Amino acid sequence: MPSVTIGPGDLNLQEDGPLVEVLFLISSELEERYRKEKKEIPEPVVVKALIDTGASMCLIQEDIPKKLGLEPVGTTKICTPSSKDHACYQYFMRMAIPSHNLTYHGVFIASPLQGQEIDCLIGRDLLKDGILIYLGNANQFTLSLL
Amino acid sequence: MKDNLLAEEIETYEKHKSELLKEHSGEYVLIRGNEVVNTFESQKDAIKIGIEKFGNTPFLVKKILEVDEKQNFTSNLIKISAPCLR
Repeated sequence: MPSVTIGPGDLNLQEDGPLVEVLFLISSELEERYRKEKKEIPEPVVVKALIDTGASMCLIQEDIPKKLGLEPVGTTKICTPSSKDHACYQYFMRMAIPSHNLTYHGVFIASPLQGQEIDCLIGRDLLKDGILIYLGNANQFTLSLL
Repeated sequence: MKDNLLAEEIETYEKHKSELLKEHSGEYVLIRGNEVVNTFESQKDAIKIGIEKFGNTPFLVKKILEVDEKQNFTSNLIKISAPCLR
């Protein structure tokens, strides 16, 4: 099972939360199609992601799909501490941590995110296919994906 | 301001919703324009077929439910001041 462990160095788990740098790319299926059509493959977008068990689904900064030139595959309504039933687009994308052989294909909700330079919330839809081990006293966490 | 990219697909879904609920409740429907393409057990299968057929163009994959599920977030990092669907 591929996994990534962050900490204890270069991390303040209590202050910042479980942050991990990830890449966003177009899906493997779309990439295959682009290669057949000899279209240019968009460059990956590197972002800081927060593993957020308070998020029912993964959510990304709304300009990330635009940078990858992606069109939506759905819409959904979200409820946040400051809003209710807010409609957002959904996009099918690939999220990867190549250094640890971690890849996840899934649907991501696009919404404005502001603060702490975090551009992605990793939610419980991704976590249902994985294991999160949070060792507070060791200032370390591990995310594994099936 | 861009129009809602999936307005036609959502309208198609609403038009066919009652018949979809009878046979395919809980499954995922793939819709492009005014066409109900097919239904699938999994969201990813529906999306993969959508990409195969339509490439990187807007299409709708929607879970067939009487009442749509909403997604909940506790984070204050989400800053919504204007509609995301334009």
